[in-house]
Amino acid sequence: MKTGAWATLVRWLDRCAPPLAFVGLLLVWEGGVRIFAVPSFLLPAPSAIVTALLATPLPVWAGHVWATLRVALMGYALAIVVAVPLAVGLATSRFLSRTLYPILVVVQSTPIVAVAPIIVVTLGASDLPRVVITFLITFFPIVVSTVTGLLATPEELIELSRSLRAGRRREILHVRLPFALPHLFSALKISTTLAVIGAVVAEFVAAEKGLGFFIAFSTSYFKIPTAFAGLVVLVSISLILFRLIGFVQKAFAPWSLPKSER
Amino acid sequence: MMKRFTQTCAVLTVTLTLAHAAAATEQVTFMLDWLPAGDKAAVYLGVDKGLFEAEGIKVTIQSGRGSSDVVTKLATGSADMGTGGLAALLQAKAADAVPVKAVMSIYTLQPDAIFTTKDAGINSLKDLEGKTVATATFSSSNVSWPLLLKTNGVNPDAIKLLKVDPGALAPMLATGKVAATINWLTVAPAFAGPLTEVGKSFKALPWSGYGFDGYGLSVFASEKMLTSRPETVRKFLKAYAKATEMAIADPMAAAQALKAAVPEVSVDTAAEQWRASIPLMVNDISKKDGPGAFAPALLATTWKWVAEAQGLPLEKLNPETAVSRDYLK
Repeated sequence: MKTGAWATLVRWLDRCAPPLAFVGLLLVWEGGVRIFAVPSFLLPAPSAIVTALLATPLPVWAGHVWATLRVALMGYALAIVVAVPLAVGLATSRFLSRTLYPILVVVQSTPIVAVAPIIVVTLGASDLPRVVITFLITFFPIVVSTVTGLLATPEELIELSRSLRAGRRREILHVRLPFALPHLFSALKISTTLAVIGAVVAEFVAAEKGLGFFIAFSTSYFKIPTAFAGLVVLVSISLILFRLIGFVQKAFAPWSLPKSER
Repeated sequence: MMKRFTQTCAVLTVTLTLAHAAAATEQVTFMLDWLPAGDKAAVYLGVDKGLFEAEGIKVTIQSGRGSSDVVTKLATGSADMGTGGLAALLQAKAADAVPVKAVMSIYTLQPDAIFTTKDAGINSLKDLEGKTVATATFSSSNVSWPLLLKTNGVNPDAIKLLKVDPGALAPMLATGKVAATINWLTVAPAFAGPLTEVGKSFKALPWSGYGFDGYGLSVFASEKMLTSRPETVRKFLKAYAKATEMAIADPMAAAQALKAAVPEVSVDTAAEQWRASIPLMVNDISKKDGPGAFAPALLATTWKWVAEAQGLPLEKLNPETAVSRDYLK
């Protein structure tokens, strides 16, 4: 009986550990700020952030969230559309791999934050530069992971498909791509957060709306709790997008998940 | 049959009317030199009260990231008109013949100032020796700073200049990490929050009190706009001048117009920011030369400061080529 109660407690703690740790952290933060009387412009207390969050009208939040989400999703979609076929090309053609891979590494090694102002000047003040910046930050992990997945297909499977006279196209579509799905989905998850970061970076450079603009704007008025509230909303969006990709994977390609997560 | 004919006529009439209305309204993209704030309220009031609309202009307001950013955006055609410090335009003109001109002056006194707290014991530039001063990394004030000190007999090397993000300036001053910051006077009301929180009182030393003369904020236009749509520029400036007058007469209305377009702003802070900018616009110079004017002598002084601060020969640029007075007529 005693053992049963103990086991239940351990199970309960195991289930509740993440939210409890989070609540604990918030309490330490709130307590620390209050005890040491830290000014709100240095580190606002969680309660001050919540107050700032609620003080900003819902339509204002909706406008900024929509502006950031729109750019993040467009850049993300563009990254997938470009990265997946590109990865197939890189994985299947030595010529393409030798020619394009170094260029991609150069693009990835370029600090996008530094070139973002130039992109905005070149492409004008519209959604386009923001989408391009998001795309540039997002697409490389998708390319690399997909190529890794495509190349990790076991040789026996390739030989089997060839012995069954499957063409090149069938080999990619029915053997290599399904095998690359776990890699692709993990890259897609990472890229959702990168897409949000990309959109915010772009908004810091030039925007009239969006959470990046909102944070820059609040900071320029030294309203740090409001800027933190913007950060909270941004993190929430990233988490929601991250979970959404998880749901999509579970719903449409459950075989690509580890057995414990199906 | 008759019914279809009537419908077609109605659709045609509506289409033609809309097309006519679209043709009658000129689009102008106007870029502010920084994020929306109370000191930019005049243009919002003009939009809110329909002053631009009355001139047949539809204004789209964009926020820039500094005067140099506005000059670049105008030169590349991302915007038609905008605001910025005249020094930034003169500097850009001297370095590269950018196709942008100043068409109306807004500040006839320089807005740059030293912000400090009353307990810091700083009463003049000389008192800053041995102290640390914070400034925004990309502030146009940084260019003239060493020259301002030299002109006033202060050794620039005796003051440690710390370049930081604009958002860090007030917190650094409030926590005493720096003895003073360099800002535009129009930002002063935003410093109230952090300083009040730590029980400190604000104090400003305007650079204009130390011989730093010249035109500050001005209205710029791209040369493409000036040559292709001169009448629109004239109408825009007329409406802008009227909006400025209205905003000076009623700062609260200007702040409310800003709030209507940018709901995040606080009306009270915006009104205070606008009030803080009024002495920069309405003063002995503007009364003598008339609003919006570029007097040759003060224009030359503005360039002299830029040239000396940049280590450029005065002949490098004729400042008259950076302005046009034709559009205020």
